[in-house]
Amino acid sequence: MNDFLQNNGFLIVTMVQQALLAMSLYYPLMCGQLSLASPGFYALGGYVAAIIGTIEYFAPWRDSLGWVIFPLEWLAAGIISGILALLVGIPALRLRGIYLALATIAFVEILRVICLNLTITGGAIGIFGVPQLFESRWSYIWTFGPLLILMLLFSYRLDCSRVGRAFKAIREDELAADAMGINPTRYKVLAFVIGAMLAGVVGAMSAPFLNTWNARQGTFDASIAYLAYVLIGGSRSMWGPLLGGALLAALPEILRPLKDSRLIINGLVLVFASIYMPQGIAGALGKLRDNVGRSFGFFRGGK
Amino acid sequence: MKRSALVTLFLTLFAGTVCAENVTSPIPIGIGVAQTSNVALLGEEEVVGAKIAEKYFNAHGGINGTPFKLIFQDTGGDEAGAINSFQTLINRDKVVGIVGPTLSQQAFSADPIANRAKVPVIGPSNTAKGIPQIGEYVGRVSAPVAIVAPNALKQALKEHPGIKKVAVLYAQNDAFNTSESGTFQETVKKMGLQIATLQKFQTTDTDFTSQVTAVLGANVDLAIVSGLSADGGNLVKQLRQLGYKGPIIGGNGLNTVNIFPVCGQYCDGILIAQAYSPSADPKNAINAAMAAEYRAKYKREPPQFTAQTFTAVQVFVEALRKVETVTKKKITQLDLAKVREELNKQIRTGSYMTPLGKISLDQEGEIHQENFYVAKIKMDANGKTGSYIYVK
Repeated sequence: MNDFLQNNGFLIVTMVQQALLAMSLYYPLMCGQLSLASPGFYALGGYVAAIIGTIEYFAPWRDSLGWVIFPLEWLAAGIISGILALLVGIPALRLRGIYLALATIAFVEILRVICLNLTITGGAIGIFGVPQLFESRWSYIWTFGPLLILMLLFSYRLDCSRVGRAFKAIREDELAADAMGINPTRYKVLAFVIGAMLAGVVGAMSAPFLNTWNARQGTFDASIAYLAYVLIGGSRSMWGPLLGGALLAALPEILRPLKDSRLIINGLVLVFASIYMPQGIAGALGKLRDNVGRSFGFFRGGK
Repeated sequence: MKRSALVTLFLTLFAGTVCAENVTSPIPIGIGVAQTSNVALLGEEEVVGAKIAEKYFNAHGGINGTPFKLIFQDTGGDEAGAINSFQTLINRDKVVGIVGPTLSQQAFSADPIANRAKVPVIGPSNTAKGIPQIGEYVGRVSAPVAIVAPNALKQALKEHPGIKKVAVLYAQNDAFNTSESGTFQETVKKMGLQIATLQKFQTTDTDFTSQVTAVLGANVDLAIVSGLSADGGNLVKQLRQLGYKGPIIGGNGLNTVNIFPVCGQYCDGILIAQAYSPSADPKNAINAAMAAEYRAKYKREPPQFTAQTFTAVQVFVEALRKVETVTKKKITQLDLAKVREELNKQIRTGSYMTPLGKISLDQEGEIHQENFYVAKIKMDANGKTGSYIYVK
């Protein structure tokens, strides 16, 4: 077992990490907003952690606080991401559909170019020698794992709460929701901020995990990858992004023995998954459960 | 029953063979470079260099009679891919050492993993500051830009001893060019020359009239351009069109045939420093053998990354031979952890006669290269095609 973890620990933790990033896209989607800003906040969170972890100014803090500095980094990254999301979200969420998606892509690009040119972010090389919380990559499951469980519990509770129902009402029909006394802008911004804070905290946890941080972490490519997680996983329940993120992060590594053809197979899986599972994996699993239940007659699904 | 079968399948898929503590024969050396993604343009050149080295050194006796084999694990273009590749090489393929990764950013991510596992790494193309300092198991055979770039300046002074005033131009929105230009500016001052004008531009610019006017107004004897192929090429073209007659030095961004279509006949005469030359020293037998093999296969001159990766494999091979001499045992009779440790020590002793010329690695793992080269662009009469002529 130990050998197995040595070999695959990094991959398993990466799966959890990508699942969390996919979930950060899920919250805006709950109220029907397609935001691709997560990589920007992810990069920002990573920079916050890497800067606190390496620059001279914070050296006395690091010495006196020991490992406590790490939770503080996560907190700082979450708060900074949240504030920035609030500032960006209020004007940006007046846009709808494809225009919002484009605006968030632009936001990610702006952040990337800024980070590429600042001295404190280390330019194109980035920040390296980020202090480590654990020796082995596998141990990082103790940071990402609890966060995932926490976010699942949070999503579950959110689903049943007034806020969650307001999100869904806006997703189904914004005008009707407005007429019922729900303030759409307020809830859309709230969903955007939750997603941004999650992405920021994941970024802050990832900087030690990857040993280094640079502007290549938050790119347009990453935006598309996260979108694929949600599309392949399914956007209608919290399990969708979770499954999609974990699966798509693992796929290229599972296919590693295929050498050169692995990316072709990877692409084929994506194409077939989106043709045959338009509701995503979570949607297809839900349908399967309903069908099986009906044919045996002892279990009736929710619908 | 079904579950246990699934678990077994899972384990065989992921874990591979467990506990082979001695080094296997043929001796495995890992190559973790980018074979996919947009970085693969560079990575493929490295794969070719590694494969030529494998064929060449196995034909020349391997490790004192024991053959070695290269194990390739794609890193892709990102940091996570580099870590995955390195972990696979270290834990599953049980390599004695790793050549890679392609990018410096990837090295900062994956090299600490190898360092903690006490596996020697040699970077074939990591030129950033701070790479050998990652740890005692990390070294490189790619000289940093601060060492390579000044050679072009020396060559320009040799050709035109009267140079006094220099114009420095660089793309300020690109990190590599900004730092490279910093190196040029320091070197200019150190050589007692005067920077008459310092001009900045963007890699997206197409019109350089204001910069060129400033250069002409300052009446300089030399222009140094750090930019990428499109903007740098256009800048050179406009410098020449508006009447600049003096020599021009180009940075590493102009070190590509892609600039020929941009500046056409005006590319002629640009000086660019090089870490490798396919034809500099005719007495260098190993370079001649490697270049001949490359030319036979690809019908062109071997690029720098191919030579550097060949060199990285060569350093491993010669150091493994030294390990056998020191321990007086065959590598395959030794414990894997012991081989990795001893190999790391031997890499840093003595010197190597490689396609890059004579090199050695110091205790930190930094390369000390004896010769650097300077190429001058020579355009053909049609003004469309050209070549790099090595002047030093």
